[in-house]
Amino acid sequence: MSVALQHLVNQPYKHGFVTKIESDTAPKGLSEDTIRMVSSKKNEPAWLLDFRLEAYRRWLNMTAPAWQNVHYPEIDFQAISYYSAPKSKKKLASMDEVDPELLRTFEKLGVPMHERAALAGVAVDVIFDSVSVATTYKEKLAEVGIIFCSFSEAVHNHPELIKQYLGTVVPPGDNFYAALNSAVFTDGSFCFIPKGVKCPMDLSTYFRINTEESGQFERTLIVAEEGASVSYLEGCTAPRFDTNQLHAAVVELVALDNADIKYSTVQNWYAGDENGIGGIYNFVTKRGLARGRNSRISWTQVETGSAITWKYPSCILRGENSVGEFYSVAVTNNYQQADTGTKMVHIGANTRSTIVSKGIAAGHSNSSYRGLVRMTPTATNARNYSQCDSMLIGNKCGAHTFPYIQVKNNSAHVEHEASTSKIGEDQLFYFAQRGIDAEEAVSMIINGFCKEVFQQLPMEFAVEATKLLSLKLEGSVG
Amino acid sequence: MNTLIKNVSFQEWISSWNSGKITAPEHSTNYLDQLRTNAVNHIAALKFPSTRDEEWRFTDITPLKHAAFKQPSAATELTASDLTQYFIDESVIRIVFVDGQYMPGLSSTAAQHGVTIDSLSKLVATDISAVTQHLGQIAEYHNNAFVALNTAFMQEGVGIVISENIVVDAPIHVLFVATQQEVTACPRCLLVVGAGSRITLVEEYLALTDCAYTTNAVIEAQLADSANVNHIRLQRESREAFHIANTSVQIAHAASYQSISIALGAQISRFDQHISLADQHAQCSIDGLTLISDQQLADTHTWIDHIKPQATSRQLHKCIADGSAHAVFSGKIIVRPDAQQTDARQMNRNLLLSDKASIDTKPQLEIFADDVKCSHGATIGQLDADALFYLQSRGLNLASARNLLTYAFGAEVIDFIPVDSVKQQLADLILAKTRIH
Repeated sequence: MSVALQHLVNQPYKHGFVTKIESDTAPKGLSEDTIRMVSSKKNEPAWLLDFRLEAYRRWLNMTAPAWQNVHYPEIDFQAISYYSAPKSKKKLASMDEVDPELLRTFEKLGVPMHERAALAGVAVDVIFDSVSVATTYKEKLAEVGIIFCSFSEAVHNHPELIKQYLGTVVPPGDNFYAALNSAVFTDGSFCFIPKGVKCPMDLSTYFRINTEESGQFERTLIVAEEGASVSYLEGCTAPRFDTNQLHAAVVELVALDNADIKYSTVQNWYAGDENGIGGIYNFVTKRGLARGRNSRISWTQVETGSAITWKYPSCILRGENSVGEFYSVAVTNNYQQADTGTKMVHIGANTRSTIVSKGIAAGHSNSSYRGLVRMTPTATNARNYSQCDSMLIGNKCGAHTFPYIQVKNNSAHVEHEASTSKIGEDQLFYFAQRGIDAEEAVSMIINGFCKEVFQQLPMEFAVEATKLLSLKLEGSVG
Repeated sequence: MNTLIKNVSFQEWISSWNSGKITAPEHSTNYLDQLRTNAVNHIAALKFPSTRDEEWRFTDITPLKHAAFKQPSAATELTASDLTQYFIDESVIRIVFVDGQYMPGLSSTAAQHGVTIDSLSKLVATDISAVTQHLGQIAEYHNNAFVALNTAFMQEGVGIVISENIVVDAPIHVLFVATQQEVTACPRCLLVVGAGSRITLVEEYLALTDCAYTTNAVIEAQLADSANVNHIRLQRESREAFHIANTSVQIAHAASYQSISIALGAQISRFDQHISLADQHAQCSIDGLTLISDQQLADTHTWIDHIKPQATSRQLHKCIADGSAHAVFSGKIIVRPDAQQTDARQMNRNLLLSDKASIDTKPQLEIFADDVKCSHGATIGQLDADALFYLQSRGLNLASARNLLTYAFGAEVIDFIPVDSVKQQLADLILAKTRIH
C-alpha cells in the first residue's frame, strides 16, 4: 500500500464525545420492576406494559446470538440504566460557542444553516424560530392527515393505531435484541400516512417537535395505508454523539396495498478511537412488511459510524407484486466492524427485490455483507437480483460476503454476484497525471464505487453523504 | 425413539451401532495405531451434527442418526468378473474397496516405475515416510465428527505414492463398492504425488445392493511442487444410502489440481472438499455437478483456502434438482492476509425442474488481503424461455427442447472430464436422467 493511502486511512476521529448531560436516571439493572417503572413514568396504558412484560419474559429465555462476524466483550445487561428522563441539553447561547472543529465539519458536509445550530446544541430559537419551523411542518402534515410524532405521544393520542401495528412486523420475541428493545424501549418516532396520501415532504426525525434524545432503545413505527407514500430520513451526516454504548433500536414498517415507503439512514455515530477503544454498538432490528398488493419498501443506508454496525434491514414481501429494495454503503476504518445486509423474504407471487451493497474497509476494520434471499413455495415468478461489492484499502482489513439463497419455487429467479477490488496505484497515477491529488482521487473513486447507492438517497442527503465519505477517509495528503 | 436420541453425542451414536464402546487399538508405537487412538479419544468431545450447526443448517441428517448401522463384516465374496462391467477401459491401475475394505485380490496395482500402491498398514509398517508424514495430517478431524469417525475406524485403507517426475498416463481407478446392507463403511485413501509428477484419478462409489448403508469416506491428497492431478469423483451410491465424504487436498508451489465431482446417488449425501493452496502459484479448479430427483438430498461444501500469494482458484458448481429433491451448496473462499495477488472465481448455477424441489446456496468470500481479484456469483432459475422457444421454432417439441437444455446445462461440467469413457458414460446417464417421464 502506498504511503499516500496509508495516510488517508489513518485519519483520527476528530470530535469525540460531548460532555455528559445531567439526567434523571434509573438505577442500573433490568427486572420486571424496572419495566413497570419505565412504563409508569411514561404513564403508559396497561396493554403496553403487558407488551413490554411479555417481551421481557421471552428475552429472559433467550441467549445473546454468537453467529455474527463481529467481536465484542460480553455485554452486562444488568449494568445498563434503562430509564433516563429526557432532560434538555445545556443550550449554547450562540453559534460562536460551538466547537470550531464541528463547524468546519458542517461546512464540509454542507449542512444547512438552521440544522447546524440544532445539531450543535445551540438554543435554536436564538437564531431561528424553531417553533414556527416545526409548526409550519406540522400544519402542512396535519392538513393531509399525516400523523408524525414521538412514540410516547402516539401512545397517548393514537393508542388504537399503535395497538394495531406495534409488534406486527418485529414480534416481541423476534430476536434477543428486539425482545430487549420491546421490553425497555423509551421513545422513538411514529408516522402514519392515511389512505391515498402522498407525503408532501421528506420526513426527518430532525423536524419532529420532540427532538430530545430518544435514548438507546429507540422504537420507530411507520404505517402507510392504501396508496400512501412517504420518504423517511433517519439520522444525519453530522457526527452524532452519544454516551450510551449499546444501541438496540427496532424499526417497523407496514405498507398496505399500493403503498410506498422509502426509508433512508445515514449513520455516523462515534466509532471509537484509532485503537478501537470506545464507540457505539449499533445492534438494530429493521424490518418492513410489504403487506398489500403492489406495495414497495425501499431501504437505503449509509453506515459510516459506530464501532460495530450489526443490522439487516429486511423486507417481507407478502403482497402480490410487492417490491423490496436494499441499497447500502458501509464504510469501516480503524477497528470498526460491520456485519450488515438484508433479508428479502418472498411470499407473494410476482414479488421483486433488488439488493445493492457496497462495503469499504480500511485500517484494521472488518466489513461483512450477510444477506438472505428466500423464495417460499408461494412466491411464483418472484425475482431477486443481488450485487455485493467490496473495496479493501490496505492489507490489514477484511471484507466478507455471506449470502444465503433459499429457493423453494421453481418459477423464481435469483441472481447474486459479488466482487472485491482495490484502489489501484495505476488509477491514482492516472488522476495524478490529470492534476488531481491522491486525496481527491480516492474520494472520487470511492464515490464512483458507491454511486448506485447514493442515487437512491434524497437529494440533500446524497450531497452530504458524498462529502461524508470523503471526510471519513480524509488524510494529511494534499 | 425420537426423543430418546435427540441429543446424542457422537460417541453415543457410534456406540449404538458398534455394540458398546469404541475401543482404541492396543498400546502401540505404530503410527497408524497412534493416529487411530488419538481419533478415538477425540470422538468423545464431538457431537452429532444437527441443523443448529451452521455447517449443517440445510442438511438434516436425522435419518442417519436413527440408522444404527454396524461395522461391516468380512467382505462378501466378490470376484473380478462381478465388477468387470464397472471397469474403465483406459485404466491400468485399479484399486477396489468392498464395504470400505481394500481388496488387493480384486485390485490391479501392476508395478509401474515410481508408483507405490499398498494398504496403509503395510506402507506404515515399511515406514514409507510419504505416508507417515501426511496420513491424518491433511484431513483435519478435530472439528469434523465424520472425519474423526473415519480416522478411528480406518483399517485397510490405501496409500498411493507417486515419486518425483513420474507421468502416469492411464487414469488410476479407485472403486468403492457397497454390497452389505445396514453397515457403516469407512474407506480411506491417501494420495501423495511427488514433485513434477502427473496423474489422473477416478474415484467412484457404486452399490451392488439397493439397500440402506452408510459410506463415510476420507481422501487425503498431497501435491508436491509442480505436481499435476486430475481428480474425477463419481458418486453413484444406492438410492437408500447415506454418503458422507471428505476430500482434503494440499497443493504446493506451482502445483495444479483439477477436480470434477459428480453427485447422482444416495438418499442423503454430503461432500466436503477442503483445498489448501499452500504455496505461491498453486492452482486449483474445482467443478461439480449435482443431479438429483425424488426425495434425494445432496449437499456440497467446498472450502478453498488461499494461504500464499499468487495462487489461482476456479470453481463452477451446478445443481439440477427434480422431484422433491433438495440441493445444498456452500462454497467458501478464504484469502489470508499474506495471499496477495490471489485470483479466485466462483460460480454456482442451479436449475429447479419441479415445483417441489428446493435449493439452498451460500457462496461465501472471506478476504483479508487487498490486492486480489475475487468474485463469486450464484443463480437459481429455470430453463430459459427464449431458448425453449427457439428450439421449438426449429421443430423440437417442448419435452425434447427441455431435455436438451437440461442436458446442456449439466454437460458444461461433464465436458471438462479428461477421461473419454467416463465422460461418455456420464453423458449417457445424464441424458437418460433428464428425459421427461
